[in-house]
Amino acid sequence: MIDIREIIAVIMIALGILFLVISAVGMLRLPDFYSRLHASGNSETLGMMLMLLGFVVYEGANLISFKLIFIFLFVFIGNPIGTHILSKTAFKTGEPVWTKDKEGGGK
Amino acid sequence: MIKFVVILAVIVLITIIALMLGRALRGPTVFNRMNALGVISADTIILIVLFGYLDGRIDMYVDIAISYAILGFVGSIAIAKFLGGKKL
Amino acid sequence: MKARYYLKLVIFLFVFWILLSGRFEAKFLIYGVLTSLIASYVCMPLLMLKSADGKNEYFALDFPVWRLVLYCLWIFWQLITSNFALARAIVSPDLAINPRVVRFKVEMDNPMALTVLANSITLTPGTVTMNVTDDGIYEIHALTDDAADGIRAGDMQRRVARLFGQDETFVMLDGADSADNADRGEKGAAADGAGSAEGGMI
Repeated sequence: MIDIREIIAVIMIALGILFLVISAVGMLRLPDFYSRLHASGNSETLGMMLMLLGFVVYEGANLISFKLIFIFLFVFIGNPIGTHILSKTAFKTGEPVWTKDKEGGGK
Repeated sequence: MIKFVVILAVIVLITIIALMLGRALRGPTVFNRMNALGVISADTIILIVLFGYLDGRIDMYVDIAISYAILGFVGSIAIAKFLGGKKL
Repeated sequence: MKARYYLKLVIFLFVFWILLSGRFEAKFLIYGVLTSLIASYVCMPLLMLKSADGKNEYFALDFPVWRLVLYCLWIFWQLITSNFALARAIVSPDLAINPRVVRFKVEMDNPMALTVLANSITLTPGTVTMNVTDDGIYEIHALTDDAADGIRAGDMQRRVARLFGQDETFVMLDGADSADNADRGEKGAAADGAGSAEGGMI
């Protein structure tokens, strides 16, 4: 009963969960705002895309997976734009950057 | 087997959303809060699709997820522009 | 020339309409064509982008499709491989990160190319675009040493320039050597006392 498509979908969804957890860990551990943007902007995107692709593989070729692919593309394009505009706003309003040789620069 | 993974994913996502809510309440500046809210809105999209699978009506829930993705994106950009003021 | 742009946009919007409606009766298809035509007529001035010096005008969706698909696959592969490196840096017990600000300048004219490059840099883990000026100066926040070296190698800049048929040259800028960006350089590179004073405030 278990076919190869379901196994691929399960593996992809599990990897997606893994990356979402890593992004959450990064959000809690990293020292300043810009470093947290890395966690939320990149690992988050990859985790979401892997989970959506897992569902696409599970559904096969029908209208639902086309809509899922649309969400996928939207996340692929929109998530970096959101991250970038947030970091640009923070940079222009003077949010400080934490660096290693200035420990405790921001906590 | 996929049902087990989906239920696991729902539990993990709800935990992540709770943690991010903590980050949004604690975060030192307004940008940290915005970032945490962005993560919550992104996780909610996935959560809607997963609930759609569990409910057996994924065709309806996917439409809601699309509108939620667009709304979250536009909302995040609008708030960032509001924070940046004339400098952006 | 303009007609080709309209044709591209109408086809794009019509495919999107079919995806969202999912019905193939004649009534819905006619509605779809009509709304695509009206929407493309309204949106066309928004999609014609002027370059920084105002000389040339580019259409936003005007790129070779197959090269874009190849580029997206390459970006996706980069996303996966370097995400593992970022995950290792985040999960490691002593938090092996070394954040700094890297700056470079590109000579590309097309605003869409600048946008795609900024988005690609943000999407690649370890680097986030913080600021892009009109004359092509990028300020990148790099989380690890490897990510900063990747920006210095300039593979991605060359690929984007080739995708849009633009000038491939790019120059690395270090810290606060350009006069008009000196105030941002203080904040960004945190090379002197001002950075730490501000850092203590939050």
